[in-house]
Amino acid sequence: MTASALTRPGERDRLSTKFAELDWRIIGLLCILAGIGTAMLYSIAGGHWQPWAAKHLIRFGVLLAGMIALAMVHPKWWFHAAYPVYGVLLFMVLLVEFTPLGYVAGGAKNWLHLGFIRIQPAEFVKIGLVLALARWYHGHSAQDARWSWKLLFPVGIIGVPFILVAKQPDLGSAMIIGLTGAMMMFMAGLSWRVIGAAVAAAVAVIPPFVMFGMHDYQRNRVLTFLNPEADPSGTGYNIIQSKIALGSGGLMGKGYGLGSQSQLEFLPERHTDFIFSTVSEEFGFIGSFTVLACYVALILISLRIAALSHSHFGRLSAAGMTAFVALFMLINGAMVMGLAPVVGVPMPMLSYGGSSMMTVMIGFGLVLSTRVHRYAELPKGQGLF
Amino acid sequence: MSSEPHIFFSDVNERQGSFLRRTMLMGGATALGGLALVGRLAHLQLFKSEEFATLATRNQFNFRQVPPPRGLIKDRNGVVIAGNRPSFRVLVVRDETKDLDQTLDLLGQLLPDTLERRRTIIREVNAAPRFSPVPVKSDLTWEEFSKVNLHAAELPGVMADMNEARYYPHGGAYAHVVGYVAKVSDRDVQAIRDKGEQPPSILFNPGFRIGRQGIERSLDLDLRGVEGGRKVEVNARGRVVAEDIAGSRPAVQGSEVVLTLDNDIQQRALEVFGEEAGSIVVMDVRNGDILAMVSAPSFDPNLFVSGVPGPIYRAWADYERRPLLDKALTGVFAPGSTFKPVTGLAALAKGIDPNRRITCTGGFYLGRRFACHATHGPQDMRDAIKNSCNVYFMTVATEIGPDAIADVARNMGFGQTFDIGIGGQKPGLVPDREWRRRNPVRGDANWYPGETPSYAIGQGALTVNALQLAVYTSRLANGRQAVMPRLIKSVGGVEQPPSGDLRELPYPPELLAVLRDGMNRVTDVGGTGFRNSQLGLGAVRMAGKTGTAQARNYGSGSRKSAGRPWAEKDHNLFIAYAPIDDPRYAVAVIVQHGGMGGGTAGAPRAREVMKVALLKDPEIRRRIEQAGFAETEDPGAHEAGVLEDAASDTTPAAAAEAPLITPAEAPGTPEAPQ
Repeated sequence: MTASALTRPGERDRLSTKFAELDWRIIGLLCILAGIGTAMLYSIAGGHWQPWAAKHLIRFGVLLAGMIALAMVHPKWWFHAAYPVYGVLLFMVLLVEFTPLGYVAGGAKNWLHLGFIRIQPAEFVKIGLVLALARWYHGHSAQDARWSWKLLFPVGIIGVPFILVAKQPDLGSAMIIGLTGAMMMFMAGLSWRVIGAAVAAAVAVIPPFVMFGMHDYQRNRVLTFLNPEADPSGTGYNIIQSKIALGSGGLMGKGYGLGSQSQLEFLPERHTDFIFSTVSEEFGFIGSFTVLACYVALILISLRIAALSHSHFGRLSAAGMTAFVALFMLINGAMVMGLAPVVGVPMPMLSYGGSSMMTVMIGFGLVLSTRVHRYAELPKGQGLF
Repeated sequence: MSSEPHIFFSDVNERQGSFLRRTMLMGGATALGGLALVGRLAHLQLFKSEEFATLATRNQFNFRQVPPPRGLIKDRNGVVIAGNRPSFRVLVVRDETKDLDQTLDLLGQLLPDTLERRRTIIREVNAAPRFSPVPVKSDLTWEEFSKVNLHAAELPGVMADMNEARYYPHGGAYAHVVGYVAKVSDRDVQAIRDKGEQPPSILFNPGFRIGRQGIERSLDLDLRGVEGGRKVEVNARGRVVAEDIAGSRPAVQGSEVVLTLDNDIQQRALEVFGEEAGSIVVMDVRNGDILAMVSAPSFDPNLFVSGVPGPIYRAWADYERRPLLDKALTGVFAPGSTFKPVTGLAALAKGIDPNRRITCTGGFYLGRRFACHATHGPQDMRDAIKNSCNVYFMTVATEIGPDAIADVARNMGFGQTFDIGIGGQKPGLVPDREWRRRNPVRGDANWYPGETPSYAIGQGALTVNALQLAVYTSRLANGRQAVMPRLIKSVGGVEQPPSGDLRELPYPPELLAVLRDGMNRVTDVGGTGFRNSQLGLGAVRMAGKTGTAQARNYGSGSRKSAGRPWAEKDHNLFIAYAPIDDPRYAVAVIVQHGGMGGGTAGAPRAREVMKVALLKDPEIRRRIEQAGFAETEDPGAHEAGVLEDAASDTTPAAAAEAPLITPAEAPGTPEAPQ
């Protein structure tokens, strides 16, 4: 039975009702995307489940169950857990930064080695960020959200993880954190004048930052993006090869398992950041258009779920989660198509990588929870913690 | 706090309204972003897809050049003179090595000598394309080869394979005539560019070798063959993952070149020089085929294939006997007395009676005294050749003048080069009045009469090379035809013509017969070449003419060579043909600074080489065997000892100890030439 505003009290809290309230379009789209990801990983490995495809599929299965379980969790628990989760995740980022548990890979110290598992706290910290921001805005008025000194709190909530992650240095994740936070502030109702001023300031600050504030490899990426042909065998190689893979796919693609750029390893990082190029090469414009359409549909559905929530926390947290998935998708897409510098942002659900998939799935768990509990009202002010 | 209502409607409305507007904007922005990506996709995948498809194919497929096996060079009997042999080599691919320095360190432990050439190797590896294998060491032993293969896993980017390398199985015997191949230098490439042509890509293949000297150079394009190609599918690291057989084509071996040379004669011709310097050319007088053409001392052309080590090259270049110089074609010498038959022929052509006797009093006077090496008394032309009498030829020469001599000299083959397929020949110089007009001495463009007596005996401005001497001897022996030399018998199975049209000699055969009579007597009892010209082949005998050419001006000093430094000794020449009754083979020998008297250094070498040529001829062999040469007198039995003296090292002491070859100690036998 379908729940409505008129459903009797208690009825909504029944698990079977909640289950029926799940948005199956979202689950279906996630399954499609994870399935395409698995198929591409299978193809890249030369028609083998190892080393990527099987793991990707198993992870998705486990995380799908986890996501549905999270969707059953009442938003008040999310609400109460928001600051502690943010705190714990921030602490993990600090562990990476300042203890030997931190682990260097690919030029950046962004892995946390916990003995049994290696995780990238920089991925998860986005969840904490979204929750913490949603909680803060939930407790404040529209006036505060538009422009007041109290905005220093959300700025701090965004700024601390941003600076820590940027120092690792993991520019891609830091950028996502900063932009996700900025989008949440925007959706919470930040004054247009302030937005205009911030954009102007960013335009003024970014070029000198690129020249003086960045690590060499990061600056190279940016400069290479501006002129990839300057060093085709070095830093420009990734972008050039990716564009060749995309372009040579044509309308219909070269066929599953037949992409020469991917199969012969011309395409770098083809199982993670550049997996979209493989999709485009083997399935052509039609395949890549389909994938992009899936993402856009996923995002628009999620935003609608956010808009229909009765609590401000629910609205903002669901929209925040959607925002960072949208950022992942847009930045990664722009990167592989040569529209943005190579910043190491994965394509959600397609790219191989546990931390990234887990973050996205937790995010959609929250979105689904918002959907299931869209009538729930949350206390204004302090919560349990 | 809990007492406060949970919802403030104004607040909710304001926050919610703002959120909804902003979320709509964000959704729109996301959709726009997605649209932008789709637009970009359409741009790349729909409008520029052909361009990128080409690039992808270029990535995927690689055309690997396969150097063609170089054509073989064989002698007239099919003996391989220049072949190809398998060579194990080690190659380095820059892009597959993690760190070139480290890789070379490890490789140095297996192959210590790569450490010495390390800087060269690094330069070559860095100059080559990233994926292209660069040979760092060739000609590995099997042991080294297997060692490198065994450690291949620890040496990424290093591989060992087998290719073909040029090989000259006979070492120095053909070093000058066949030449050698070497690495392509920037100069080779530039030379092609200077001609306005695009150098073929095979030139840049590190394993390719270009012909540098002799036949290898002149027939380089024929020998080179056509490179093959393997269309291979490669991965990003350049590793071949598949080969497209249909898109590949095999390399075509270069054309086979057959020379007119005879390996046995050629080998013997180099052998007889020992440590002496000079050159031998053997020709078939009937058709002009060059059977042997040797320059001594020689060098090992195999060293050039992989690059001559610096110290060895310097030793070759600095040695005064000039092993790198081709003395048969690019060394010119005064012919000395071997030229006298030319003077004689000129006199006969001018109508001088060969039976006319001229009395030799030991000197000829024309402004000054021109000495003869003996007092021969009355001489006709045949005697004058036999005794190599200077006075006779000086007398007739002053009667006919230099132009008549020059005319005959040119008809007999001097003063010209022959198109036998080897470049860089020096034509020498045949002087006449016209030449003097163009090359005046201290402003005087007139032929000075005192020059003619020297000209008559093959001295003065006159210079010739060994090939010309052989051509001249062949024409004398042939008697009718002006045979033209031929070195390249066939290229790719196509018979090659001689170096020029065959003409009749413009002299009646009877006149040439007179000269041949004289040359027969040279090698007969009492002749200047008797001692060292006996073949010991019974009725098959050799005729010849000795010659000594001054290497410097003696002034009033002694002309004896004994005791002088090598570079101051006279050049020693000998020309010969055999058999006397039916001439087939002509030999010309120049022993550089071989000492005075053509019978001493030149004749024994000519004899040995001639013997090989005659014994290889089945008809002559049959003739000798029928006559039973074993019973005939065999002066060669003791002559062999003389040859060894001459061949090993005619130190002044050794020459003095050999009693028969020093005219002073054997006055009864006028061995001395001139």
